[in-house]
Amino acid sequence: MAVTVRIPTPLRKLTNDQAEVDAVGATIENIIENLESNYAGIKERICDEAGNIRRFVNIYLNDEDIRFLDGTTTTVSDGDEVSIIPAIAGGASV
Amino acid sequence: MLELRRETTSQIYAHAMKEFPNECCGAILTDGTKDCVRRCNNIQNERHAEDPATYPRDARTAYLMDPNDLIKIHREVDTKGTQIKAFYHSHPNEDAYFSDKDKTDATEPWGLPNYPDTVYVVISLYDRQINVARAYSWDDNAEDFVEVPINSVA
Ligand SMILES: [Zn+2]
Repeated sequence: MAVTVRIPTPLRKLTNDQAEVDAVGATIENIIENLESNYAGIKERICDEAGNIRRFVNIYLNDEDIRFLDGTTTTVSDGDEVSIIPAIAGGASV
Repeated sequence: MLELRRETTSQIYAHAMKEFPNECCGAILTDGTKDCVRRCNNIQNERHAEDPATYPRDARTAYLMDPNDLIKIHREVDTKGTQIKAFYHSHPNEDAYFSDKDKTDATEPWGLPNYPDTVYVVISLYDRQINVARAYSWDDNAEDFVEVPINSVA
């Protein structure tokens, strides 16, 4: 399956400044592996040591957060768009 | 400098007052001439209830923008050619500083600003009375968030 992947600003130095790149794979996990083979270092930015998506990283398949699908085993279809978007969070001083 | 119409300011103030005593969050989008406010859900209370060890704070002292709202904002930017002018959130019963948590969360998880060209607006209110709003953005030279003046226009 061939998909396009939206890359957030802080990771574009790994993708030669491209905001969108192509990737292939049957699942989100495969897509991340495929990204890693083309843009070394990107996997450890997205996943922790255990292979889980990092807490401040949201991954969407089209408009759905993959947390509410099947996580990294979510299957993708040709032409899908995968978006990597960091969370927006904060809080007052306590 | 961040230029905000009074109407936009009153919309984000209304959101902050509505969510009090919890922090509110949202975005201000612009097409270059007209701004529009997109209120987002703060899902901090849900995450805190599910996993208090990872999310020790509740929504009174923290916010986490609903990922479903965040993707909608990005879609709107893609399809309508608008831009994210600012993200905003409130500090109930606190001043409008950009806290250490605001800074770290804005650079998590890669230690780089996630939105280097976007302003963060913080609204201070005490007991549903607006105190002040201040704006902050990433400064490459300072390698930190610095305050940017808000210019209020009619
Ligand atoms: Zn804050």
